[in-house]
Amino acid sequence: MRGQVPRKTIFAFIGPAVIGLAVVGIAPLLYAVWTSLHFYNLTKLRRVEFIGLENYWTVLTDEAFWQAMGRTFFLLGTALPLQIALGLGIALVLHQPGLTLVKTLARLSLVLPMATTYAVVGLLGQVMFNQKFGVVNQLLGGADINWIGDPENAFAMIIFWDVWQWTPFVALVLLAGLTMVPGEVEEAARLETKSKWTVLRYVQLPFLLPGLVAVLILRTADTLKLFDMVFTLTRGGPGASTEFISLMIQRVGFRGFDQGLASAQAIILLIITIVLAQIYIRVFYKEV
Amino acid sequence: MTTTRSFWTQIALLVVIIAVCVFPFYWMVTTSLKTQIVALEAPPVWTFEPTLNNYREALFEDGVLRTLINSLVVAVCTTLLALVLGVPAAFALARFEFRGKNDLWFWFITNRMVSPIVLALPFFLIARNLGMLDKHITLILIYLTFNLPIVIWIVTDQFRGIPYDLDEAARLEGASQFTIMRRICLPLAMPGVAVSAIFSFIFSWNELMFGLILTRSEAKTAPAMAVSFMEGYNLPYGKIMATSTLIVIPVLIFALIASKQLVRGLTMGAVK
Amino acid sequence: MKNLRNLCYSAALAGAMATGAAADGHGWSLKDAAAPYAGTTVDVVFLLRPGYEAIEAMLPAFEEETGIKINIIKHPYENALGEQVRDFVSGGDLDIALIDLVWIGNFAENEWVLPLEEVQAKFPDAVDPDLDIDDFFPLVLNAFGGWNDTVYGLPFDNYSGLMFYNRCMLEEAGFDGPPETWQELKDVYGPALTKDGKYAFALQSKRNETQSADSFARVLWPFGGSFLDADFKSNLMSEESQAGLQFRQDLMQYMPDGIVAYDHAETVNAFAQGDVAMITEWSAFYSSVVSPDTSKIADCVEIAPEPKGPAGRKPALGGFSLAVASQADEDEQAAAYLFIQWATSKANAREYLERGGVPARQSVYTEDGLEDFKFVPALVESWQDGVPEFRPRFAEWPEITEIVQEWGTKMMLGEVTTEEGAQEIGTRMEEVLEDAGYYSGDKRLAQ
Repeated sequence: MRGQVPRKTIFAFIGPAVIGLAVVGIAPLLYAVWTSLHFYNLTKLRRVEFIGLENYWTVLTDEAFWQAMGRTFFLLGTALPLQIALGLGIALVLHQPGLTLVKTLARLSLVLPMATTYAVVGLLGQVMFNQKFGVVNQLLGGADINWIGDPENAFAMIIFWDVWQWTPFVALVLLAGLTMVPGEVEEAARLETKSKWTVLRYVQLPFLLPGLVAVLILRTADTLKLFDMVFTLTRGGPGASTEFISLMIQRVGFRGFDQGLASAQAIILLIITIVLAQIYIRVFYKEV
Repeated sequence: MTTTRSFWTQIALLVVIIAVCVFPFYWMVTTSLKTQIVALEAPPVWTFEPTLNNYREALFEDGVLRTLINSLVVAVCTTLLALVLGVPAAFALARFEFRGKNDLWFWFITNRMVSPIVLALPFFLIARNLGMLDKHITLILIYLTFNLPIVIWIVTDQFRGIPYDLDEAARLEGASQFTIMRRICLPLAMPGVAVSAIFSFIFSWNELMFGLILTRSEAKTAPAMAVSFMEGYNLPYGKIMATSTLIVIPVLIFALIASKQLVRGLTMGAVK
Repeated sequence: MKNLRNLCYSAALAGAMATGAAADGHGWSLKDAAAPYAGTTVDVVFLLRPGYEAIEAMLPAFEEETGIKINIIKHPYENALGEQVRDFVSGGDLDIALIDLVWIGNFAENEWVLPLEEVQAKFPDAVDPDLDIDDFFPLVLNAFGGWNDTVYGLPFDNYSGLMFYNRCMLEEAGFDGPPETWQELKDVYGPALTKDGKYAFALQSKRNETQSADSFARVLWPFGGSFLDADFKSNLMSEESQAGLQFRQDLMQYMPDGIVAYDHAETVNAFAQGDVAMITEWSAFYSSVVSPDTSKIADCVEIAPEPKGPAGRKPALGGFSLAVASQADEDEQAAAYLFIQWATSKANAREYLERGGVPARQSVYTEDGLEDFKFVPALVESWQDGVPEFRPRFAEWPEITEIVQEWGTKMMLGEVTTEEGAQEIGTRMEEVLEDAGYYSGDKRLAQ
């Protein structure tokens, strides 16, 4: 009996949201598909013409596009393990008993990085990592490291800020998992073994898994979306060393003005995103 | 002996965590109080005579104040709109059975994952054709693409937690579904609604790419403004940090208010 | 050269016609001319650079006299093209186009801006009889404001590449003056001035327009290279072009690390902080390196023309003109024209100069009392024989510059050799030009 309501009622409740999201979320995508099949350059609007799949062919055979894609996944592959390792460490420290006041303070400070405007993180990076008057080199004992102008260092700097901003998120997610472990189970396990590792592996880990899965999904999506922080910090440079996929599409579409090609890139990115989301969600989320 | 040692290790670790999280903010605020000459001092100085000049200039001469107001208007409006559209949808998802519910759910979560650049390209062209560039309403609408999924997600979760018996009782008394939602479920779901509203606000406030591409002057948002200081013959670091501070403070306050729910919000309810 | 002469001729003719039209109204005054347009608001994009601050400081006088309101929207250079393109394709609010010389082909071919003659014919009463268009440096007027023999914009924020050098550092190392040639800069000044954490030279090379304009093109021309040959095919593989690009690689040992992340701000700052002895920068940055507020070495700054290469002195040429936007309504167009005419006028040139701008009026540089502006002689010399197509000015430049920026920085980073990079740029550049119809004869070979 539960939930049997007339279709009209269902539509009245859910219709506005669906229509709203369709208008702002789907209509533009259809338009992007149309654009991607055309030669569509903002500075040559008199010459808009249908060119079939040519833009897609250009994208698929463009080394630079796949390099940007590879760079994006490389960032995910380096930053995420760091975030999980550090996040787990922080979560375990916070999970220990005692020191309530300091722990509360720590939890509150963990909230700050992840709420920070991403663009501001990049601006802060410019100030703090400047080779000459940046505080980072000063704190490293007067080092003379060229962070922004060296391809590898710039990449490391991006990893640093991504880790700074999102480790707290991972830590809090895992902490939430740790607190789900029933107290008596954990205590019993600690009496059995002295090894913290064993407790973590066999008692706590099962409770951490849902959180880890969520982290994996969201960090993958957010890395594919990554734009603001890099845009304000390195703009993809030096060279193309920090040009991630969203930055590349923005550059082609709004600096090269080739909206047709950029749309094709965007559609391919969208397909990759949906496929990944499908896999993740079908495999891991089965609750609904 | 070991307990005191681990006690001190724990304290030390906690202090390090706090320091790493907070230090960039400390540096941001102190830099915002430096004059250009002091800000370019190498190596950087830690003590100096603070000035509020950067704030005065940013707010009143360069128009940051207006962009902050724009950001506020856009974030508040889009949040309200997301709630008006999202709460009933969440109620339906939590309470009604219908075909395609899972697909709908999948569609909502996918929206959360789509890179904004995918939408920014066509949205720009559409807004251009409709003469809707540089208008608040354009941002308010496009921000729905990430706000609506958040609201629907968190609030659906909240509605599910409310015992079904309550609706049943009301229905036997002849209440419509709408009345049930408004009178019975909504008051109980208020915590979830509040959290989703805060999230919606934070995400909208922090957004840069749409602000950069879809606005020019009238509706320019604060993050887009901060970026536009980033060139010139003389990068005004103090002013950039002052603007950054002004942008970040409201979200930090909101985040601290919602800190208990933050994880739940960011994982779209996957972690309670 | 022929184009240039045609252009000057037609511009002069336009000026003469305009003068004729307004001749009977002898006492032309800005106030009267602006009277019908009082209360009009004119929207224009400005950059965060000294020339714009100068005119902004002078603006109250204009607004008071005319009742026209100038609404300035400030953008960093790197956003300015995108902002304006987005505004023009959507029929936005901009009434004036701010045109970098490399954008002129684009703006003109899209008809986003009106030819000067057309505006003057439309609003004869607005034309100042004292406009004297011949007073602009011909090279500058042609390059910044003209396209296909038609003048669109009047030169407003005008640059030539100049060599800024730190006299104190050079003297300390035993040099009486700056290097005459690029070779000398590298072989003699480079080793002598690069020590103790200081560098002889810095060449702004960030992957922006800076990479193509300030870095890549700057080493092409003096060595006899160029982007394109007479048939519009890539000339980057020529011996001369390669020599220039290789020279840049060799010179990098005397530049700070991470030069590929240096934009104008970083370069000017490194010079102003006394870390770098010489830079080749736009004249527009003069006011900031000699101001004690922003420069530690204000007293040591000297200016010279850019060094010569085997092919002679080919200083970088860049700058902005202001043109009336076609999307503006009638009143806005007239008001926009009045503002442009006023901002670039002979009468205001001196004040503009003194406030930190660089006017393109020949007359102002013949005046007395310019000793404080050390860049003047070098600037005037540079504007005698620059290369207008220093960067091609056709509509395809925005696409090509992206390619040059990408591969130019890769070259500097050593990720590809100069040959590989040049080959790659050449192929891609020719694809763009092919696509645009230059090779099929659909389009005139104008750059």
